[in-house]
Amino acid sequence: MEDKPDILIYDLGGCEGCPLSILRVYPDLRGIANIHTHHLGEIDLDRRYDIAVVTGPICINDPDSIDVLRRIRRNTDTLIAYGSCASVGGITLFCRGGQEPRPEHRTFQPLSSIVDVDYAIPGCPPAPNLFLALVNSLRSGRGYFLELFAAVARARRLSGFDLLDTIVLTGLCISCGACIISCPTNALQMIDRKPDLIVEKCIRCGTCCIRCPRFTQILVQRYRAGKEVV
Amino acid sequence: MAYPMVLDKPLGEYKSMYLARARDESIWRHRIGSGGAVTALLLYMLEEGIVDAVVTARKTRGVTGEIVVARSREELLEAAGTRWSVLPFTMRLKEALSDESIRRVAMVGLPCQAQFLWQMKLFPVLETDFSGKIHFIVSLFCIGTFATEAFLSSLQRLYGIEPSRVTGINIVGDTLIIRYDGGEKRILLSEAIPYMQLGCLVCPDYTGVFSDLSAGISEQYPGYTVLITRSDRAEEYLEEARDKGYVELLKAPVHIVEEIEIKARAKMIRAQKYMSIVL
Repeated sequence: MEDKPDILIYDLGGCEGCPLSILRVYPDLRGIANIHTHHLGEIDLDRRYDIAVVTGPICINDPDSIDVLRRIRRNTDTLIAYGSCASVGGITLFCRGGQEPRPEHRTFQPLSSIVDVDYAIPGCPPAPNLFLALVNSLRSGRGYFLELFAAVARARRLSGFDLLDTIVLTGLCISCGACIISCPTNALQMIDRKPDLIVEKCIRCGTCCIRCPRFTQILVQRYRAGKEVV
Repeated sequence: MAYPMVLDKPLGEYKSMYLARARDESIWRHRIGSGGAVTALLLYMLEEGIVDAVVTARKTRGVTGEIVVARSREELLEAAGTRWSVLPFTMRLKEALSDESIRRVAMVGLPCQAQFLWQMKLFPVLETDFSGKIHFIVSLFCIGTFATEAFLSSLQRLYGIEPSRVTGINIVGDTLIIRYDGGEKRILLSEAIPYMQLGCLVCPDYTGVFSDLSAGISEQYPGYTVLITRSDRAEEYLEEARDKGYVELLKAPVHIVEEIEIKARAKMIRAQKYMSIVL
């Protein structure tokens, strides 16, 4: 990748936590990349970008959003689904439609359900520094965690439910506490040395899954083998 | 901080391997096997103010323990020693670390814990993470941990040793040494494998490749700690700790590197075998 990549930052909607988190690193980001975003003026969706970072989930009942997403995909080399909603669906998966302010939006899905995503980064929202770490890793192009994010891009969902199904109920849990310490809503708690889920609290952000040493191992191995990851 | 960390090589990416021992004899005198070099290094970091606290484990009773945040020499020395089982990081730890007087911590864990701590430090997914405070990660060599209750129950069933009498368990070579009030029982490690956690049987990481420093023991050099440095920071602190008289440091001879690599490879092969069942 050339020295200063052109990065498009585009928000499809949602709570705006992810755009705010990214906004906070603009000053540092400008040193390592050319940024294109609504926050800094007009953007052109028809030109070529090295990296596109898309936040927010995609509403599959909304042809306009789908069209925008497809255009972004066509015009970028590396597409990154940033934040839990864009990468794994997040809390918007709970949407049942008919809600203000957009009652016509009924079904939200991760971006990977519409286009091919290169890297998916869960986090609700990811901390500002993650964005810098990510851009730097992409420029050096290496590392286990980058491969993990590529694997997450193949996952249609990651949540506390999947953590329980894939790791705890299969006996793979080693009681290290990674999930407990990572959960932003305290939905996981240790009961008899194993995590248990308070289902009402899980916002399906996927953080527990990508912090679990066993889940990440499974994701990466299945990804390398070209299998369905979850 | 962009060193590539991989799980594909037995020992991961590393800089050097050393044999080390604490200069202060009181740190290693009561040990079996290890030279107390990790304790000495952490003590140096704590006393020089490089870190404000060390997160490690302390034995509570028998083979059970708990995670502690050590902030003084006494607290750290109390927590020193080989760890028997994985102790979960909990909400309580997260709360302890949110204390504003703790700005930087060194964390000691097993390879699985080092991995997620490293990820937390490198890719902070949440702002509530204490990633900004993680300054130094030490991973202890690990062949896997046991499902404690199941294993203790088997000791009672097979050898009549009640769980409450067990005071410590150590691994030397292919033998488990179980110490209890009435003496010592030696059993073959292979006999205990069924009591190992399944999640540990699929784990490929023996030394803890996602860390600043990995530490363990070699059977060929009892009384010394094997240290593997993986970051510039680790090299720097280790050299300073040597210069200030905290640790003795020798380059590990080739046969030690080979010994550790053979063990690491064996764990990778075991992981592959068990993982093929799971996937």
